[in-house]
Amino acid sequence: MSDRTEQRGDTAGAGSLPGQVPLRPPANPVSRKAIVMWLLDGLFWSVLLVGGAFLLSGWIGDGRWSWLPEWLADGAGWLPALTAVLVVPAALAEPFWRYAVHRWELSGDVVYARSGWIDRQWTFVPVSRIQTVDKKQGTLERVLGLATVDIRTASHAGSSTIKGLDYGVAAALAERLAQRAEELRDDAT
Amino acid sequence: MTGLPDPPDRPGDPSADPHAGPSADPPADPSAGPHAGPSREDPGPHAAPGLRAYGPPPVGASAGPAPAGPSAGPPLAGPSLRLSPRVLLTEPIRTLPSLLLPLTGVLFLGGFSSGSFGWAAFGLVGSVLYAVVRWATFTYQVIGDRLELTRALIGRSVRTIPLERIRGVDVSSPPLHRLLGLAVLRIDTGAGGSKQEGELDGVTLVEAERLKAALLWHARARAARRAGARGTVAAHGDGPPGAAVTVPAGPFPGTPEPAGPSPAAAVPPVRHRTGETLPERVLFVVPRRWLAYGPLSGSYLLTPFAFVAGAAGLAFQWGSELRIDGRIVVGAGEWLWGHPLLLGGALVVLVLAMPVLGAAMYAVFNWDFTLRARDGYLVAERGLLTRRSVSLERRRVRGFELVEGLAERWAGVARAWAIVTGLGDSGTRGQLLSVIPRRAALDVVREAVGPILTGLRPHPPVARRRRLFRAVFPWLVAAACAAVAARSWPPLWWAVAAALVLAVLGVPLGLDRYRSLGHTHEGGRLSVRSGSLRRSQVVIEERAVVGWTLRQTWFQRRAGVLTVVAGVGAGSGGYAAIDVGEAQGVAFAAEVTPAWLAPFTEDAPPS
Repeated sequence: MSDRTEQRGDTAGAGSLPGQVPLRPPANPVSRKAIVMWLLDGLFWSVLLVGGAFLLSGWIGDGRWSWLPEWLADGAGWLPALTAVLVVPAALAEPFWRYAVHRWELSGDVVYARSGWIDRQWTFVPVSRIQTVDKKQGTLERVLGLATVDIRTASHAGSSTIKGLDYGVAAALAERLAQRAEELRDDAT
Repeated sequence: MTGLPDPPDRPGDPSADPHAGPSADPPADPSAGPHAGPSREDPGPHAAPGLRAYGPPPVGASAGPAPAGPSAGPPLAGPSLRLSPRVLLTEPIRTLPSLLLPLTGVLFLGGFSSGSFGWAAFGLVGSVLYAVVRWATFTYQVIGDRLELTRALIGRSVRTIPLERIRGVDVSSPPLHRLLGLAVLRIDTGAGGSKQEGELDGVTLVEAERLKAALLWHARARAARRAGARGTVAAHGDGPPGAAVTVPAGPFPGTPEPAGPSPAAAVPPVRHRTGETLPERVLFVVPRRWLAYGPLSGSYLLTPFAFVAGAAGLAFQWGSELRIDGRIVVGAGEWLWGHPLLLGGALVVLVLAMPVLGAAMYAVFNWDFTLRARDGYLVAERGLLTRRSVSLERRRVRGFELVEGLAERWAGVARAWAIVTGLGDSGTRGQLLSVIPRRAALDVVREAVGPILTGLRPHPPVARRRRLFRAVFPWLVAAACAAVAARSWPPLWWAVAAALVLAVLGVPLGLDRYRSLGHTHEGGRLSVRSGSLRRSQVVIEERAVVGWTLRQTWFQRRAGVLTVVAGVGAGSGGYAAIDVGEAQGVAFAAEVTPAWLAPFTEDAPPS
């Protein structure tokens, strides 16, 4: 707002250093137990992928796919190992990276949330435009005592999903949002 | 059948009772059916307590006693009506094609014996009987504040549509209906999907117009009264989303504080007073010579191929039904493949037919495209064989989208869509204008919705690099892959060449994509633009924004840009400013809705 006049310039926004989104991080981290959830999730998928690669390399090794180039067919044995090298470190790093990124805050009647790991996403949802607030628990979340809060407006791009909250925190947030949304309901859309 | 007693909507209303009885009787004479509404009012006994004017002032053909106090809106219980008996003609004809094959099948199987003819005749009579039963058991009726569609066959199913939920009424008449003076009336409740929408297939044109006017009038009346009531009980937030208060485009109505409703509610009821009739105004009739611009939009150019594909599909389907051996079909294909000259000739004919057939098809669908302003609605009407009319409630219009394809930009023409809250299938229904010169389109859109925003702010130069990379790189990768494969199968060198050509073409494309990028905010409205092959600029009111999503991929992070998506409860749901500078993007969102972002922005001055 203060820099409103600056925007007209051709180089607007290019002057600042990359990676400097002028938004402060939301106040609250998600639950630490979310790391465990993401870890289990990542390991599950790693096992699935490496297993799939193993099967694939077995098929290629049978030599049934004659149209494949020689070097590819010969190197098929390395496929599971290669997959594992790519996938497992990612699966191990992702939970901690996510924990650093995923944060949320409710202030000024706006829900502000940040999520992602390699890609990032910031969402701003004003309470006055909320249509529904859902509190969900997947199987893994139930085991760990976590919950996801799903905040929906009339638009998918104006909706927000906060994962990995402690159940108590999620319940309180959902309750508070629903109550406040009722008070502020604004039907302009 | 004579059942269907209409429970009076409000017990307190004395006029509802005596009427419910007689009007519930189905008209004995079928020919009286279609006009039952108006003509039933004529006879004395019914006309006397006729204050219950069923029709609204705008049309009210026979509603001589124009309601004294329209705003009072007495609970209405119109007679329960049937579709026109003429549907007995359209219905069997429509079901005939699907019956034809089984019937011929029966004839063939029976070896054309008398018995098989008997069965075929039985099938035909059955379909007619079915149509009669369907016609006889279906009634519709406006009761109080709702429209009820009743089908009473064995069980009784009633679909109730609250009038205030009605967001639009489409009247269309397919060719056969047109011949018989019938129309199909579709009621859009914005429920999404067809689950809660109503359809009256086969009312007379007169009845369709009357009903449409009546439904829209009542819908508006209820909504306005609700809005008025809300004004007194301000900020109670109990109304359905449909009864939205029209907040005038003030400086920042987007602020979440409830300051909006109470002062605002005082204003709109005046504008949307019940029964207020503005004279209908034609905003624009697209001249027929502009139909020539149609094929430029591209999609219609594929018409010949669509025809061929459709014919092939039909041939296969009928082939299997008529038990033609699949090998014959394959054989025919092989024979055709064996005569490349014939195949090439057919292809040339198809390509030559593209502009002609495309133009014809476009003309059929967009004939006499007319945009009217009527009674708080924008009505777009078009079509030659099937005349389609779509009513968009102006109160729900939040902006517009202007679309120009590459060829269209070269010719200086554009298309326009309205962005309307709660309008399902907005891609076809929201269209405001067919392909017409850009300048004329902007004039019409300015009058119907609002002016376009110019002076878009450019996105940082990094965005140009990114657009170029994305337009060129995939083709280079494809070329490389094809080159590797071509070493074992030489014909693929053609694919390599094609990919390289596309990569070269990607350069101007990427540059143009960058030139298209832009966003701005001015006078309570915001605008974003993107695309090259299909450039689209969206202008929306800031009050339509329900939230923001800022997205940044790893590559965008390295380039220092992000994508800002304004969540809008209308149209496609979100409109993105692609590759905005990081500070620029946050500032844009903060400028449109300061109260939402202010608590979270860092005050680091962007260099």
